[in-house]
Amino acid sequence: MTTPSIVDLDVRPILRAGGEPFEKIMQTVNALAPGQGLRLLATFKPSPLLHVLGHSGFSHEAKELDGGEWEVLFTPSAKSDEPVATAAADASRWPAPVRRLDNRDLEPPEPMVRILAAVETMAQGEVLSALLCREPIFLFPELAKRGHRWTGGFEADGVTYKVLVQIGTLGARP
Amino acid sequence: MVGATLSRWTMSYFAAALASLIGAEGLMVSGYGFPSAALAAPETLLLVHLVVIGWLSLLMCGALFQFVPVLIARPLYSDALTLPTLVLLLSGLIALLAGFLQLAGTIGPQLPLLPGAAMLLAGGFGLALWTLGRTLWAARPLPLPARFIAVGLASVAATVVFGSVFALVLGGMATEPLMLEVVRIGVPIHVIAGLGGWLTFTAMGVSYRLMAMFMLAPELDGWGSRGVFYAGVLTLAVTILGGCAAIHAGTSLAWVLGLAAPLSLAALILYGRDIRHLYRARKRRLIELNSRMAGAAFANLGAIATLAIVLLALAQFERHIGALVFLFSLGWLSGLGLAKLYKIVAFLTWLECYGPILGKMPTPRVQDLAVERRALPWFILYHAAVWSAGACLFADAPLAFRAAVAAMLVATVGIAAQLVRIRRLADVAMAPSLQSHVSRPSLLFSPAQHA
Repeated sequence: MTTPSIVDLDVRPILRAGGEPFEKIMQTVNALAPGQGLRLLATFKPSPLLHVLGHSGFSHEAKELDGGEWEVLFTPSAKSDEPVATAAADASRWPAPVRRLDNRDLEPPEPMVRILAAVETMAQGEVLSALLCREPIFLFPELAKRGHRWTGGFEADGVTYKVLVQIGTLGARP
Repeated sequence: MVGATLSRWTMSYFAAALASLIGAEGLMVSGYGFPSAALAAPETLLLVHLVVIGWLSLLMCGALFQFVPVLIARPLYSDALTLPTLVLLLSGLIALLAGFLQLAGTIGPQLPLLPGAAMLLAGGFGLALWTLGRTLWAARPLPLPARFIAVGLASVAATVVFGSVFALVLGGMATEPLMLEVVRIGVPIHVIAGLGGWLTFTAMGVSYRLMAMFMLAPELDGWGSRGVFYAGVLTLAVTILGGCAAIHAGTSLAWVLGLAAPLSLAALILYGRDIRHLYRARKRRLIELNSRMAGAAFANLGAIATLAIVLLALAQFERHIGALVFLFSLGWLSGLGLAKLYKIVAFLTWLECYGPILGKMPTPRVQDLAVERRALPWFILYHAAVWSAGACLFADAPLAFRAAVAAMLVATVGIAAQLVRIRRLADVAMAPSLQSHVSRPSLLFSPAQHA
């Protein structure tokens, strides 16, 4: 059996039920074979996702369907000059978060301070989930230095950024 | 999602920038250049370029190397070129100032200083464009604030091209009729591309993100913000491309500027509306000094634009162009620059010193590095002095102008001293347990932070 060049994912049922499809989408994306693309069906144009997957080396073609729904075809770019983050991770096999933080109403850099404080109290392998109002880009190098793994992206609302951090599985680096 | 680290030489850019501002204010206090000399006199050109290249452009470059990665959530293409860029820009600036001294007859004409300055500055700005352009290019499609910066970078390229032609002609190295025509009528294009496109448009883009970040306000990218962008792009395109066409056709620039003026006004009105919305929709009710002082700079911009319209209506615009450029550079751009420096220096210093130990032990907060009540009087003095100096220019009172600029100088030194205190952690009461983990940061340099 050959690998199909495009994987289909319809998140409209999840969205209509009021659910949150981001993790499902990222799991599907992370499970794609090299060169494989993704055809996504959603009830709105998933602009933040276009941005996030653009960063991960996917180009996209978005097409509006009847009734305001959208079909977006993500194809891996021929060449991506994105440096590969060793610690930015596929979270599909991570355990459920043991700590949840809502840092959306905090002024920077307080969200980063609270995440690092929480991370220091957690055991290896445990997962922290945090909601933020923007991508915490000064946090990531600090997580990498401390040997943690993370993954993150904008939620379907387009304004909430959710980051998952798994403790210490890379082993602390000097 | 690899994040961003500290840009190593940003503090050196800031220090060189502040030294230039203080130097320029010192020259104005001594009566050098405008208004004692004519607007187009070499002495005035020296002063103007010390402010716009030495102070504002170095400040902008240092800030962009640090904050473009924040705007696009991607690392800087390379931090290796930021020091050579600074060296080229500074040596180009020194050569340019010396070149103006040659034109003024203060120093001898032996060396081709102006053409040399053009080469060095084109090299410096070219390297900055390369680093920032590559960083932005990798992040397409760009969010709105980053698109402002891309246009700002295109504008600085145009500014440098015009400036280089001026330098080659004034340095006696170019005599083609077209080049002479560029010098004869191209100055407004050079000024608008530099002050409007490079410095103001870039500052607008950065302000959208920084103001939203620091005041916990919603990110704006609605029709109004896109309107600011497109009206601004049209203003610059009409000015630069239309200006080139006018020079080529040998016509005056009047129609170009007549078209650009209403477009720039539309951009400014929409921008003012956005900024007002950012302040009103903020979740953080009590805002820090940097946001309050940035508010003063935005108010200055609105007041200067209104003043310009009134002067145009009274047919007095050209007579007071010097005063308007003074207020625009020192009230709007410098006011915003000083306000943001006060936050950025504290934030970067905090990240450099305490980042590695965050969460492992209690650390000071960013705001603990700065003592706002001590900085506030200097900021108030600065803004009051700028408007007093501007009023003296309108009233044709050169002596009073020098006194007002002396007050600006005192205020700038006061703010700079606060920045040095922040950088030296002078106002942080450090627990003994912290002292062994935190070393006092270097004034000019941030060590590389490898993830």
